[in-house]
Amino acid sequence: MILLLSSLIWIPIIAALVLALMPGSWVNAIKGIGLFVSAAMFVVSLGLVTGWREGFAGMQFPEELDWIPQWGIRYGLGVDGISLWLVLLTTLLTPVVFLASWNTIHKHPKAYVIAFLIMEAGTVGVFAATDLFLFYVFFELTLLPMYVIIGVWGGKNRIYAAVKFFLFTIAGSLLMLLGIIYLVFQHYHETQLISFTITDLYGTAANLSSYTQALLFFAFALAFAIKVPLFPLHTWLPDAHVEAPTGGSIILAGVMLKMGTYGFLRFVLPFFPEATAKYAGVLIALSVIGIIYGALVAWVQPDMKKLVAYSSVSHLGFCVLGIFALNQTSIEGSILQMVNHGLSTGALFLLVGVVYERRHTRLLADYGGLAETMPVYAVCFVIAMLSSVGLPGLNGFVGEFLILSGSFQTHPTAAILSATGVILAAIYLLWLIQRVFYGPITNEENRNVPEIAWNEIGALVPLFVFIVWIGVHPNTFLSRMSPSVQQLLSQVQHEREHKVLQARVGQPPALSGQAGELAIHGGAR
Amino acid sequence: MNLTPLVEAGWINALMPELLLCVGGMLLILIDAFAPKSRSVLSAIAVIILVATVWVERAIPGGLFFGGTYQISEITQLFDMTFLLAAILATLFAGDYLQREGIDGGEFYALLMWGTVGLMMMAKGLDLLIVILGLELVSICIFVLVGYHRRLVIANEASLKYFLMGAFATGFILYGTALFYGATQSTNLTAMAQWFATNDAAANPMLTVAFVLLMAGLGFKLALAPFHGWAPDVYQGAPSPVAGWLSVAPKAATLIALARIFYAMSPALPHVQWMKMVTALSVLSMIVGNAVAIVQRDLKRMLAYSGIAHVGYMMIAMITLRDDSVAAIAIYTIVYALMNIGAFGVVSLLSKNQNDPQTLDDIAGLFWRRPFQGFAMTICMFSLSGLPPTAGFMSKFYIFKNAIESGHTAIALTGIITSIVSVYYYLRVVYFMFMKDATEATPGTDSGVFATGAMAISILGIIGIGLFPGPLFRIAGQAASEIFR
Repeated sequence: MILLLSSLIWIPIIAALVLALMPGSWVNAIKGIGLFVSAAMFVVSLGLVTGWREGFAGMQFPEELDWIPQWGIRYGLGVDGISLWLVLLTTLLTPVVFLASWNTIHKHPKAYVIAFLIMEAGTVGVFAATDLFLFYVFFELTLLPMYVIIGVWGGKNRIYAAVKFFLFTIAGSLLMLLGIIYLVFQHYHETQLISFTITDLYGTAANLSSYTQALLFFAFALAFAIKVPLFPLHTWLPDAHVEAPTGGSIILAGVMLKMGTYGFLRFVLPFFPEATAKYAGVLIALSVIGIIYGALVAWVQPDMKKLVAYSSVSHLGFCVLGIFALNQTSIEGSILQMVNHGLSTGALFLLVGVVYERRHTRLLADYGGLAETMPVYAVCFVIAMLSSVGLPGLNGFVGEFLILSGSFQTHPTAAILSATGVILAAIYLLWLIQRVFYGPITNEENRNVPEIAWNEIGALVPLFVFIVWIGVHPNTFLSRMSPSVQQLLSQVQHEREHKVLQARVGQPPALSGQAGELAIHGGAR
Repeated sequence: MNLTPLVEAGWINALMPELLLCVGGMLLILIDAFAPKSRSVLSAIAVIILVATVWVERAIPGGLFFGGTYQISEITQLFDMTFLLAAILATLFAGDYLQREGIDGGEFYALLMWGTVGLMMMAKGLDLLIVILGLELVSICIFVLVGYHRRLVIANEASLKYFLMGAFATGFILYGTALFYGATQSTNLTAMAQWFATNDAAANPMLTVAFVLLMAGLGFKLALAPFHGWAPDVYQGAPSPVAGWLSVAPKAATLIALARIFYAMSPALPHVQWMKMVTALSVLSMIVGNAVAIVQRDLKRMLAYSGIAHVGYMMIAMITLRDDSVAAIAIYTIVYALMNIGAFGVVSLLSKNQNDPQTLDDIAGLFWRRPFQGFAMTICMFSLSGLPPTAGFMSKFYIFKNAIESGHTAIALTGIITSIVSVYYYLRVVYFMFMKDATEATPGTDSGVFATGAMAISILGIIGIGLFPGPLFRIAGQAASEIFR
């Protein structure tokens, strides 16, 4: 029980090592082990929910171990309301990927399974790390398998896409590394304690000049904005998505982009409350542009996968808007929307992959009337589409509604402009459905497309279960995140007020971070 | 000058590693001369001697010897271990390689060992003359090792190039040392340190000339830009295991010697402009090395330019000159030995006509053809580019951390930006290994036991230090405080 999070990270890695030693010809055994391990990890991760302490804001399931004591670096893991559902999303999507690609990966299946297992370990690590250094290590660790996944199993232009993806991300994260070191050094300067623990570093930036704060803010924000991706840093995303294999797209859209939005919540907001308040407008403006721009570009895409990719830019824009609107409703909506996007876009990528495997084209113009030949497939597609559009009763509606109503309180213009993104999403996705599934069959090749297979349906069912669950009873999810969000907001607020107070009285600030630390230790039981 | 106590008691114990290597080298030549049929086991004997030296090294007593000119302490032991590690890895890769190329011989391993003795002298010398003696011993071994492929034109060219330019560089170093002697009345670094602490260095322009000459000569040995011109040609012509060794071990020895010189001068450094020159060399190396490496298609030339950039990173630690700068350099060189000799070792397995360049096309699909070699190369590349969780990340992190903590944020930023550039060309190697398909003409050989062992050492070292850097940091941190004791 205590080592729940560690087992989510290390069991996939151990499984990957074992697989590496197996002969590559045991294809089915290898795929089976991959599926079994990842499914088992999902079951294990459910323990996070069952053992959850309701109403507690700090880190739960904490694990602490000295890693590099000279530098105050610890192997610290824990989840709070912000990261809980993202960890679960990761463990859910990995078996989905294995199931969906059971019959479609013929090239180096062993390496494929290993890459996704390492990916899972790295992603859980990113969401669960409570040490900044450990977070950074996992953040970069996830790049390597994704680079290989896109580059080896991707489409025609895969090399270009893989290298672009890698260079964009690493450029941002290396600058963030500089910011991390600077922040830790500043903390050392103030307290004579060297520590990379996230809660220790809260409030460190408050004593810096506003210029330095702004530089640090942008060093962190840039890394996460590239990852999200925020307009105008999004150009790697369509390339990566179009070229990546189906499984790669699911993980990329489903969890990897969330590392960016998660980073904003976990680091940028609490580390730099002042700069956040100051520059929130910039990020909100960029996310609104992203929402509308992504939707408009998606509208004119002739390629289904590219359409879904651009819709991701638009949807992730909502998440960032929600975060920087800085109120309880919008941030909760934003976290929920991260999960929603992982479910619905994951399902859409999976479904596009299904038809691509059968027809080897993704152009909308090549399809038409598929509802006649593949009725079950059409139903699945429509459910995923409706979830993505935000039909009331399904998950997308809840997330978008919370974000928009929350941000309307603080930034009404941005909320109103973003609402057009919802309408545009309905337009381009319904347009997609109409052109692919309805009308007469114009292309004779579409007459004999085999129906969606059992393993693919099996992969979709868990996604649909959660899509409906979140839509009908979002409180299961919201109630577990709200204490943490509340604490985050009060901290951001507190820091800013503290600063104002300090400016007025002229007193040196008390060493902050104590609240967070108490929360961590309080979480141990 | 104090010339009386030349030989202290216990000097023979203190010199045990050096003596063992000298005698071991001679033994190998004799075995080769009298029993030429036993050539195939020479590399095994060489490895045994080197491992035995490691074992002896652990037990030697510390202290000052030969009139305070020869220091043995934890830090020199750590650097000796680095040299021995480099020699062991190079020997393991060389065994198969030399047999394949048909140039096997006992003198190869002997030269490697004697070169290692020279490196140990450089690292232990508290007197500039000892450092220069060591440097010359290494250089002579390198001249021969680089041209070991004696029937190949590029090998002869490389050897001659290194010889001519190396001779010039030594001249600069000697001239610089002579001027230092003229100004401070000593070549002993402890005495020089006292002189710098009590005298005004800025008042004597001769010292600046001496410093420039010394930096130019040592910069050549380090392949620092703009003294780097020889490196790509020499690495290309040298047998690949030698190139790997050459790119690591002499640099490590030069860096520790340079660190001693800098610490001796440290009282004067705030008053003179010398550090600006060192900063310029470091920044230029990072930029030139990484920028030019991008356009290289020859693997060994690419690694040569990457090496120039890496020395640039190591020089950042020299600029900051903090208490733990030597620890950062020690860690960086150990890690660099693991990853760079590993990378050159994999290149050495791409056997074909050695006159031809070994280009990126030669490793196409390597991961799928020979997974272990491909995996080793992948790990080395990720480590060279400084991605976690490899040792390369930890060592680079240490350097950048030092730079930021001592207020050199701009240099750290340069290092970070050039690192982003470097990711491109290291990643390209990975891309060729994973994502390009091999053709009929793609060369490659199965690795023997020794080469496999060497790759395993590299992989385990890189991942091991990457995941658990604590012990190494502790050892290096303790050792670094003893650099003058």
